[in-house]
Amino acid sequence: MSFELVEPDSLPAALALLDPEDPGVRAIAGGTALMLMLKSGFFRPRRLVSLRRIGDGMSGIRASAEGGLVLGAMARLRDIERAPAVWQRAPVVVETLRVHSNIRVRNVATIGGNLAHGDPHMDLPPVLIVLGAHLTATGPGGSRTIAAEDLVSGYFETVLGNDELITEIAIPPQGARRAAYQKCTTRAADDWPALGVAVSLGLEGAAIREARVAVGAVTDRPVRLRETEALLRGGAVGESLWREAGEVAAREVEPVGDDRGSALYKRQLLRVAMRRALAQAAGAAG
Amino acid sequence: MSGVRQVGRSLPRLEARAKVTGAAEYVHNLHLPGMLHGRIFRSAVPHAEIRALDVKAARAVAGVHSVVTIDDIRTVIPDPYYGPAFHDQPILAEGKVRHVGEPVAVVLAEEAKTAEEGCRAIAVEYGELPAVYDEVEAARSAVHVHDALKPAGAFPDLQHLAGRRATNVALDFHLRRGDPEGAFAAAERVFEHTFRSQQVMHTPLEPHVSIAEASGSGITIHTSSQSPSFVRSEIARLLGWPENRVRVRTAYLGGGFGAKVYVKLEALAAALALLAGRPVRIALTMDEQFFTISRHATTVHIKSAVDRDGKITGRQCRVYWNGGAYADIGPRVAQKSGFTAAGPYDIANVAIESCEIYTNRPPAGALRGFGVPQLVWAYESHTDLIARALGLDPVEFRRRNLLREGRPQATGTKMRDAALHQVLERLATHIEWERPFDRGTPLRRRGRGVAIGFKASIAPTTSVAIVALAADGSATLYCSTVDMGQGSDTALAQIAGEVLDIPAERIRVAHPDTEATPYDMGTLGSRSTYHMGQAVRRAALEVRDKLAALAGELGLPPGSNLPIPELFRRKYGMAAGNLIGSGSFMPSYAPPDPLTGQSPDATPYWMSAAAGAEVAVDTETGQVTVERLVLVADAGTPINPQIVETQLSGAAIMQFGFTMQEEMVFEDGQLRNPSLADYKIPGLRDLPRRIEVETVDAVERDGPFGAKGVGESGTYAVSPAIANAVEDAVGVRLNELPLKAEAVWQALAADRGGR
Repeated sequence: MSFELVEPDSLPAALALLDPEDPGVRAIAGGTALMLMLKSGFFRPRRLVSLRRIGDGMSGIRASAEGGLVLGAMARLRDIERAPAVWQRAPVVVETLRVHSNIRVRNVATIGGNLAHGDPHMDLPPVLIVLGAHLTATGPGGSRTIAAEDLVSGYFETVLGNDELITEIAIPPQGARRAAYQKCTTRAADDWPALGVAVSLGLEGAAIREARVAVGAVTDRPVRLRETEALLRGGAVGESLWREAGEVAAREVEPVGDDRGSALYKRQLLRVAMRRALAQAAGAAG
Repeated sequence: MSGVRQVGRSLPRLEARAKVTGAAEYVHNLHLPGMLHGRIFRSAVPHAEIRALDVKAARAVAGVHSVVTIDDIRTVIPDPYYGPAFHDQPILAEGKVRHVGEPVAVVLAEEAKTAEEGCRAIAVEYGELPAVYDEVEAARSAVHVHDALKPAGAFPDLQHLAGRRATNVALDFHLRRGDPEGAFAAAERVFEHTFRSQQVMHTPLEPHVSIAEASGSGITIHTSSQSPSFVRSEIARLLGWPENRVRVRTAYLGGGFGAKVYVKLEALAAALALLAGRPVRIALTMDEQFFTISRHATTVHIKSAVDRDGKITGRQCRVYWNGGAYADIGPRVAQKSGFTAAGPYDIANVAIESCEIYTNRPPAGALRGFGVPQLVWAYESHTDLIARALGLDPVEFRRRNLLREGRPQATGTKMRDAALHQVLERLATHIEWERPFDRGTPLRRRGRGVAIGFKASIAPTTSVAIVALAADGSATLYCSTVDMGQGSDTALAQIAGEVLDIPAERIRVAHPDTEATPYDMGTLGSRSTYHMGQAVRRAALEVRDKLAALAGELGLPPGSNLPIPELFRRKYGMAAGNLIGSGSFMPSYAPPDPLTGQSPDATPYWMSAAAGAEVAVDTETGQVTVERLVLVADAGTPINPQIVETQLSGAAIMQFGFTMQEEMVFEDGQLRNPSLADYKIPGLRDLPRRIEVETVDAVERDGPFGAKGVGESGTYAVSPAIANAVEDAVGVRLNELPLKAEAVWQALAADRGGR
């Protein structure tokens, strides 16, 4: 396989090397997903634009003044997992990363690459959705902001232009909201999820003031479950509500079966994982 | 002289330091001057005629040396078909492909990457043929994988199969003892079940690699092989050369598990080196191993007659081994493990039919247990089901039926030094079977299960060893046993050291090189400790006798403790000379009757092991967590107790993967998961929290210092022990491996009347 590998040393140079029309031209960051596609012959690039040399300026992990987090797109998963600011402000991200993939992958994979890949079988997208995260995408015409839940438009498809790069991920202040992620794997502990459920709850005493719920790996893209959220909003914390939410969630999406589980089984996993994620979030320290 | 016993020491492996410092030799790291790299172009379809193979564009790729097809191979190897039991496998596809991933052509290039690029430029036109994938279906199918059977000439017991046409049954083994029909007619209860196991891969972390170079009048093959002596004779046969012109050498292996027995890449590498006139390296990727060799998917129908007292009076087994497109050692698996298909039980009336079946899947051969784990999976699941149906305690039911010393096994061979009862009793004690057990909660129900299995040693096989004592008193052991991680170098050095009274650390074990190390049948089937151990012991005894004779010749009184270097100095006048001893070992054996499978001497020794599993089942998702796995084995008297323990735990972990996760998933003959990203071997987070192993206090009288083989024993009983524990926990019986959470959940949902 012969292709061109370029290693620009600035973001504008990288953007200039991308091609809005040619799917054979792609950016490569950590490469953990892309290399599998290359090895299997699934993807035959014409040009790979390595972001290696521009990584330093885009890998910051910092606490924002308002109480949120700003993650550079080239930040490695393992660095995010170990950053005290992330621990303090969005512990669910740390918990998710710990079960995300094996440590060798976490050591090289970047958060921007992870999201831009558009893989429906990923752990972070539903988590970022319930945290209300926004991404900054930069292209030749400048930058724009995309809500995490709007990023993935279909099976391995995103709203990003082929000449756009994710440059930053902003997680807003979570206040007293509590989040949890339940990952189900069926082939091995270290695997892509058969299903992942992320929830975030804003509580007022025993009442739920605000709820966000998203699932990954169950359909062709990570999805937010608005009916389940509506059920939860205003409800009373407790097992019976969690159980009902599981039933509503199981009705709200039409699961797609894959090598990790049939549609029928995924529906059951959704029911169970939803209940458990809600119980975990409600029980978690604020 | 050490004065310290060498046998029974938990000596760390002799090569441990070299391995952790990266100094140990592996063929994978060998690069020869002028070496070409070969990359295999593989079939994309499961069964087809090759209508056209166009390699012109590949030849034109810059840096490509040549592209080789079977027509080229034939110019150096006129009959390019190989295999240990059947000569059915072409070095490269000829006219037809029979499984996805079958080698069709090879691109040779200065660099591996260029060869890969060349492969992409090959165009092939296939005329697809109907194909057959399931072993039971294939046994009766009108679709045939081969036109005629081609058993290897060396085996008289296979000759009746030669030329048999219109069949996918490569070999059918039959065993008959007593009056099975009568037993079933007279039975109080009859039980019948079917169990299936899936195709899995060996996954040695060092994939297959062979490097061949023409050398003077001969050829040298450096290869990651478990059976260098076999490779030598098979390559000599293919080339029509005397064996002494073929030199085969190995180094340490990064795992073998049966993947590297017999010929794998060696015939191809040899032909390529002769064609190219340069050394050629063929190194597989991890992914290519899936298409090279695997463990049989298996279907076992098992039926038992039981009397009023809970004694099994009759058993009938029909075993279908999915051998894939080429027989490899599958026919021997069907026979030599097939005769244990009824289990380690004292059953007067037995009928076994065990068939090796060709299908359009990648070939299957031997994988840590030589078929035994698939059989134990069936008979120990079946045994548990019977015990439950009879309301008998599973340990007690086994105790009642287990073979005792001196009793005839299904072949008629009497059990000898088989500590089956001891193994079962120690297991029951270890896991406190008699004590109450915590059954968990409704959402997380706990259960436990036991299973016991046994295996015969493959017979008859031969090992030869040479021990050379140098004038400084150091000794070198020359043998063709391959240390593939199982610790044979250390154990064999301990045996030689014990005889010679030299610390094992001071004995050098030369690695297999057929130009220097003598014949050994192969490092397989848990045979090395017993067979090579005896050959080494004999060789060392001969050296010891020669030392005593030398002392006598020098006029020393018997029992003189003069240091060895001094003896040499007195004899030769300086530090010079060698004392050389050789030993060879082949146990007795009586071939089975071709019609009844009966033999008074079917195996030199029996290996046995029991497993106990404690599981927790998530009743909402079906997820099974194995919390504790206990292995108890009869290894005779361990030469190196520490290595025996790690062999047992390692084998148990491997079988744990085959039980819970690993599976080659096929769809229309295409492998859906040919990479470690999707074929999931166990990681640390998958393992049982507790894995405990022990050996019973036993002696194998004919083994070296009471020892016998143990490399596979940890695999036997793991799968059924876990499945039995799952049933104990949630009342769900799975008849198919791997034990998937979804299957448990489905069965639970069905129990509840469905969702």
